[in-house]
Amino acid sequence: MAYPPTVMVALVVGFVACASPQESAAQAPKSVPTTQNPPRANTVNAYGAATKAFLDRVQEYMIFHNNVEKMVPPLTEGSHPEEITKRGMALGAMLVKQRPEAREGDFFIEEYRAYLIKIIQEDFAKRPMADRKALLVDMPKDVKIGVNMVYPPVLPLATFPANLLKALPELPKVLEYRIVGQHLILRDVTGNIIIDVLRNVIPIPK
Amino acid sequence: MASKYRTIQCAAILLLTAACAMPSQNRPQSRDVTSASSTPIASRAGAMGTASNDTLPPTSQTSIRFAVLGDTGTGERRQYDVAAQLWKSHETFPFEFVILVGDNLYGSERAQDYARKFEVPYKPILDANIPFYAALGNHDDTNQIFYKDFNMGGQRFYTFKKDKRGSPGVRFFALDSNYMTREQLNWVDKELAASGSDWKIAFFHHPLYSSGGRHGSEVDLREQLEPLFLTHGLNAVFAGHEHFYERLKPQKGIYYFTAGGSAKLRQGNIRKTGMTEVGFDADNSYMLVEIAGDIMHFQALSRAGRLVDSGSFTRQPPPSQP
Repeated sequence: MAYPPTVMVALVVGFVACASPQESAAQAPKSVPTTQNPPRANTVNAYGAATKAFLDRVQEYMIFHNNVEKMVPPLTEGSHPEEITKRGMALGAMLVKQRPEAREGDFFIEEYRAYLIKIIQEDFAKRPMADRKALLVDMPKDVKIGVNMVYPPVLPLATFPANLLKALPELPKVLEYRIVGQHLILRDVTGNIIIDVLRNVIPIPK
Repeated sequence: MASKYRTIQCAAILLLTAACAMPSQNRPQSRDVTSASSTPIASRAGAMGTASNDTLPPTSQTSIRFAVLGDTGTGERRQYDVAAQLWKSHETFPFEFVILVGDNLYGSERAQDYARKFEVPYKPILDANIPFYAALGNHDDTNQIFYKDFNMGGQRFYTFKKDKRGSPGVRFFALDSNYMTREQLNWVDKELAASGSDWKIAFFHHPLYSSGGRHGSEVDLREQLEPLFLTHGLNAVFAGHEHFYERLKPQKGIYYFTAGGSAKLRQGNIRKTGMTEVGFDADNSYMLVEIAGDIMHFQALSRAGRLVDSGSFTRQPPPSQP
């Protein structure tokens, strides 16, 4: 039986992915990505494997997130502002509590970082300095960021450049990339928690 | 109808005369576009002075009427002033709903903030069961999507339709311009394609075209959205982010309005870009819009109730299919 080319590609990618070391996912505590033993980029498509490893961790996080969501009262359209606020804070606190060992690099693993930096650099290379500076306008100053920290709820989030976003791997609705200063963060939207940080990768003036 | 336009013309002449006496950098651009009755009369002088109510009445009883507010959620005096003036306008122009183009709540978002920055200033409107439809701005927590009075249906981007017997429907698209994912772009493409012969109006926070000195045009976003808007024949866009009022010259046939001055104000921030049809950055402002058949009538009013821009345009023909 002949498979269409797309199926063949999928099979090959799947095979390569299975053949590449995946100890990290297997050894990690359930639903908690760690930085231990990231997959080696020894495949034909190193970037592809690294991206897959990143997205696997994201997927794993989603299982974790969905389980934690069940621990707090759900929000529905029509929720009272007090419920919205309390629920957001409760979810954030629970996400932190359930992932106490979270640290930088849990998602932006070493092999993936190079790919990510390449995408960012290529995107920013096309941007004039005025455009880079424009990114700074709405960016809050002196925000302390770190894994498992709440993004300050009173501060705005800098708008994410749409073209850069298009070039990055797509995330589930619950997660988003954001730029804070020269850093890229991965943020849990509903819990308002920073779950990873890639420092000093955004080439905008300080 | 004729007398109404005579009144507008008289007002325009008076204000344009006043504008001529002002330094040129303060003078609004007043070029007519394609509208039959466009009477741009923005002026710095027109914004000041005692409170009035220059609100123009609707042209039809069967039209669809709405207000546009942007960058509202400060909880401060200017927001309350604009809210009161908006409610005053409702006597003359009974709008049926309000769209919010983002930055609905600045700073903290506790229950008391929802009250002080939204529920209290707009209480008469809410009490009259006039619904608000919100888009998210860069200052808004995503969890606002669950707030009942923003009518977002728990979604960061959503669509709704308004229609009346005897009028074509109007399909609104509320987008989250803070974070334009592929999912959202695909959704925009699909929903615009499915919206048929309705008027198509998008509203979101970041202006694709702007003469604002602080932010300017959101070029990245424009590269993603504009092709979809053109392909599917979007008619008009309302945005905020810039804290002033600007009506842009139609860009590739689409009408763009920036209405981000409904509480905050960036005085004197409109630069000379050549894109501005009418700009008003001397005081806070809000918009009233009426869609009567194939005509959209718009007016922008200042915090003091002065008319700073008004006009109308005919719905653009749909793009030809390949």
